[in-house]
This record gives sequence, structure tokens and C-alpha cells, in this order.
Amino acid sequence: MSFELILFYLFATVLTVAALGVITVKNSVHAALLLVLTFFTAAALWLLLQAEFLAIALVLVYVGAVMVLFLFVVMMLDIKVEPLREGFVRYLPIGAIVAVVMLVEMLGLIGLKTMSAQALPADPAGASNTAWLGKALFTQFLLPFEVAAVILTVALIAAVMLTLRRRVGVKSQDPAKQVAVKASERVRIVKMESASKGGTP
Amino acid sequence: MLSNFFHSWIHDPLIAHAGTFGLVVWLVLCILAIAVPVILTVALYVWWERKVLGWMHVRMGPNSVGPAGLAQTFADVFKLLLKEYFMPQAASKFLFVVAPLIALVPAFAAWAVVPFDDKVVLADVNAGLLYLLAMTSLGVYGIILAGWSSNSKYAMLGAMRSAAQVVSYEIAMGMALVGVLICAGSLNLSDIVRAQGGNWGIFNGFWLPLFPLFLVYFISGVAETNRAPFDVAEGESEIVAGFHVEYSGAPFAVFFLTEYANMILISFLASVLFLGGWNSIFPVSWGFLGAPGWWWLFVKAFFFAFFYLWFRAAFPRYRYDQIMRLGWKVFVPITIVWVLVAGCLVYFDIVGPGKV
Amino acid sequence: MITLSHYIVLGTILFCISVAGIFINRKNVIVLLMSIELMLLAVNTNFVAFSRFLGNVDGQVFVFFILTVAAAESAIGLAILVTLFRNRATINVGELDSMKG
Repeated sequence: MSFELILFYLFATVLTVAALGVITVKNSVHAALLLVLTFFTAAALWLLLQAEFLAIALVLVYVGAVMVLFLFVVMMLDIKVEPLREGFVRYLPIGAIVAVVMLVEMLGLIGLKTMSAQALPADPAGASNTAWLGKALFTQFLLPFEVAAVILTVALIAAVMLTLRRRVGVKSQDPAKQVAVKASERVRIVKMESASKGGTP
Repeated sequence: MLSNFFHSWIHDPLIAHAGTFGLVVWLVLCILAIAVPVILTVALYVWWERKVLGWMHVRMGPNSVGPAGLAQTFADVFKLLLKEYFMPQAASKFLFVVAPLIALVPAFAAWAVVPFDDKVVLADVNAGLLYLLAMTSLGVYGIILAGWSSNSKYAMLGAMRSAAQVVSYEIAMGMALVGVLICAGSLNLSDIVRAQGGNWGIFNGFWLPLFPLFLVYFISGVAETNRAPFDVAEGESEIVAGFHVEYSGAPFAVFFLTEYANMILISFLASVLFLGGWNSIFPVSWGFLGAPGWWWLFVKAFFFAFFYLWFRAAFPRYRYDQIMRLGWKVFVPITIVWVLVAGCLVYFDIVGPGKV
Repeated sequence: MITLSHYIVLGTILFCISVAGIFINRKNVIVLLMSIELMLLAVNTNFVAFSRFLGNVDGQVFVFFILTVAAAESAIGLAILVTLFRNRATINVGELDSMKG
């Protein structure tokens, strides 16, 4: 058994256990953290495939941004866990059965015979995986690349518009008004008779 | 030449006698050779910070323990390590213990790709710049987990502030790095430094053509490390001490170590990416002064590290909404425009590897 | 020696886990979103493996686009979730039974 294969089995085990954890743990924060672990191990597996750009991009985009967003939302919302868990035991058998049947079918399609057939070919990317991917992205796939940029922009605007709201009753200060204030607007000088004239204090 | 020496005296015999196991031992030795000096530098940096702050406040700073107070930090470390540490009763036990470690790991892992000199780098990976961005973006997990697992309002508020702030400044930082990699034409940090070599000394650095990006990068770096004036994550006057309010003793020391290791890392990266790393600040033709070497990188990093302290002494803390406005409405537009400018500079052959 | 089948089987297992996750967590929108992310991860793993073993860059380009779209999807999904919680004070799928916001 080669060193790489040992690494593969190690990462694959962690990946599977973490993914199982994501769908079974009670606390949503723990589920999100296990999902982070899943993404991290998946990135390690992609590194074994020498897809270094995508592996690091996965960590950067998913672990660094999307999962932080998930955690942010889960921590901010005051969620009661109990009602969300009520169907768990009832749906567990059907979920497990469907998953196992799907797994068996797919494995049958793949055919376990091919397990030892193919060996890892030499790295087609040559020196740099990033350059390989970049060349394809900016020549053959330029239009989809631009469309992806537009999709991201639309998603950004949509997310902002969905969550933007004007709260009523919020107290805030307007610095411009504070600076522009004049003494005459704040202090009123009133002439009064002295109250105690010759009386005892 | 130093690396050649170590390579022929330690690396080669290890590989020859122990094979794969020898390689692992060699890697562990390399990691220790980076991590231990970083930890020692953190100790000296804390001492230097207290001295500089003292001088700027017209007082003495630490001066009792050891010569010129140099042993003060070590005394503090032992105090922290020997203290009892508390865990809040309703805390999430496992995460509370693990959070400082999660914060610490990326701060040290990022050092793997920092080139100290020509070919003196632990991992000379092709996508080094991306790796750095990924590692700096992981730092936020330690803070979020510390805040959440403490089960305390103030810690939670600090964590939320920090998460939003770090994710926002990540974008400005990433865009600033895009300018650098356009000019260098590579994601490899050693190649980026080589692209800044030339006859003009310091003026070969990318800080000159990319000046706005340089400023944005360093200021974002200050915000990423949650340092003054962007230290709202631990704003003492508002939320006691923010995300680490429930920590004491050794776990607190780990957070402290992480913060300073991150500051030193950002200082080194700013020098590598914008000031030409190990290249001399003088023209190459000036003989001894113009010779490249690791000492130049350390001098440049010290310059930035000093700026961190100067910022802390000079500026009052930003208000939270002002921080967000600065990140999104000022820095991101500046970087987008300047990435375009950088593209034009490279396209018209004004800047680029081997130019100037 | 790692072969293509290793990766495909792993992708299949991951995909089936996420399907099971959608079945058994059908009340909790957040875990549903996470299961979808897992599913995309399984697909991506297969794409990367195919790209590597066939020596063809197209698979990795696909993964790149899937990552982009999935990031956009989760951002909008979470935005909808936040709006939902603000209006209904619940994220239980069983209680979301009216069309008017």
C-alpha cells in the first residue's frame, strides 16, 4: 500500500464520518462546523488529485466565506431545536433505505471490477495547474466565465435587497445637523425679575 | 549558501539513511526552524510594543525584569501559564478548549510559503498567494468559535463584529493581491519577489506602481488582525474584551500569541509582496549594500511591524459602521479601479517581470 | 495505487449521505441547505477526479463554475432564510404554509 493510498483512505474516512455527522447532529452550529471539516478534507483529496487551484479555492470560498456566512446566520437566529428534530426518528428508516438503495445502484453501475484497472496518469497540467485551468477559462470558456461573473453580481445585489430593511424607531444621529447647529437654537435667554427682593433666603 | 549547508549536512544524510521517515523528520525540523523563531519574535515584539508605546506616551515602558525590561514578556508568559484557567459553566466544553488552537494553526501554517531568501522557503508551491489568502481567511474561525462557545453576550458580540469585519476586509485584501499577481505574472511568492528585482533598488518594488493597493493591503492587514484602530472585536470600552473575555491563563496566552504572530506575518507579507522581499533597498551596483539577502526582508518587516505599534499609539478606535463603510465603500472600489490600471500597466509593458 | 474508482465510490457515498440528510432533516432549512452543499461537493469531487484521470481540463472548469453558482446559491438561500425568520420567527419547513410574506 503506497503512502498516497494510505492518505486517501485516511481522508476518505474523515470525509465520510464528518458528512454523516453533518446530517445527524442535533445542534446546527456543530453541523456547520462538521461541514467545514468535510470541505477541508475534500480539499485535501483534491490536492491528492493535483488540482491545487481548485482545492485552495474550495478552502478560500467555502471554508473562508460561505461557511462563515452559515455560522453567522445559525448563531444569529434564535432557533429552537426541538420542533425541528421531531420527524428525525420517523424519517430515519426511509432516508437510510433510499440512500443505501441509491448507493448499491450507483456502485453497480460503476462496477467494482474497474477498481484496479486504471493507474494515475502523468500530470497533464505540467508545471502549473493554475495556468492550465486559467488558459482554458480565458479562451475556450470566456463567455461562461463572464456569465458567472454576472451571476455573482446578481446574487450579491439580490442578497442585499432581500435582507435590507428600514427599521422603525431606530435612534441615530446626523453629524451634519449636529455641526450646523447654532447657539440660538439651543439656548434661550430669558429676562426675569429677581424672585426674592429683600426676603429671607 | 546557508540553505545549501543545511541541505548537504542534514537533509541528504537523513534521506539516505531513513528514506520516507527521514523526509518526515526533515520537514518537522524545517517547521520547527520557522515556528520557534516566530514564537521568540512574538515575545520580543511584545516587549518592543510596550517600549514604543511607553516612549510615545513619554514614560519608561517595562524596565525592571532583565536588562532594559527584556525578560518582561517571558515573565508574563510564565505567569499566564501558571494561572488557573476558568471555563464558564454553560460553555460548550470541547469548542471552548479547541477555539484557541484553531485560531493558532492558520497563523503558523501560512509561514510555510513565505520566502526568506532565494530558495529558502519551506514549501515553494505554485499557488502560494492563494494559499496565503486561504489561511488568512481561516483565522476568523478561532474568533467565532471562542465567542460562541463562551456562551456570553459580550464574547458573542465581539465574535460577530470580528466575523463581519474580517470577511469584508478579506475582499479588499484579495483584490489588492490580484494587482500584485497581475504585475508579477505568477502566484508563486518567490517569483513575485524575483519580479521585483532590478537595478533601482527599492524603486523596483510593486509599491510604486501599485501604491493605492499597497496602502489598501496594509490597512486591510491591520483590520484582518483586529488591531487598533480596528480592534472593535475586543473594544474594551464597549464590550469588555470581546471574544476572549471568558478566557484566562494558557488559552488566553494562545490567543495573544496568535494575534502577534499574525501581525508579524502581515508585516512579512507586505514586505514580500510590495517592497521586494529579500532584494536590497539599494541598487544592485552598490556592491555590499546592494547585495540581496534575508536581512533586507527582516529590515522591511520590522518597518511594517513598527507601523502597527505607531497606529495603536496614534489613532482612536473606529466606530463599527465606519469600519464597514471604509472596507466596502472606499477600499473595494479603489482596488477594483487599480486592478484595471495594473492590467493596463502590464499590457503596455510599463511594469512586469523583468521590466524597469 | 489510487484509481479513478476510488474517487467515484467516495463521491457516490457522499452523494447518498446527502440524500439521506435531505430525507431525515426535512424540517430544518439550514441542514437542508447544508445537505445541498454536500451534494455539490460529491459532484465536484467526481468532476475533479475525471478531469485528472482523463487529462482533460473541462472537468475542472466545470467545478469552477459549480463553485461560483453554489456560492451565489447559498448566499441567496441564507438571505431568504433570514427574511423568512424575520417574518415568521421559525425555520421549520412544516410551518411555512402560506404564500404571502
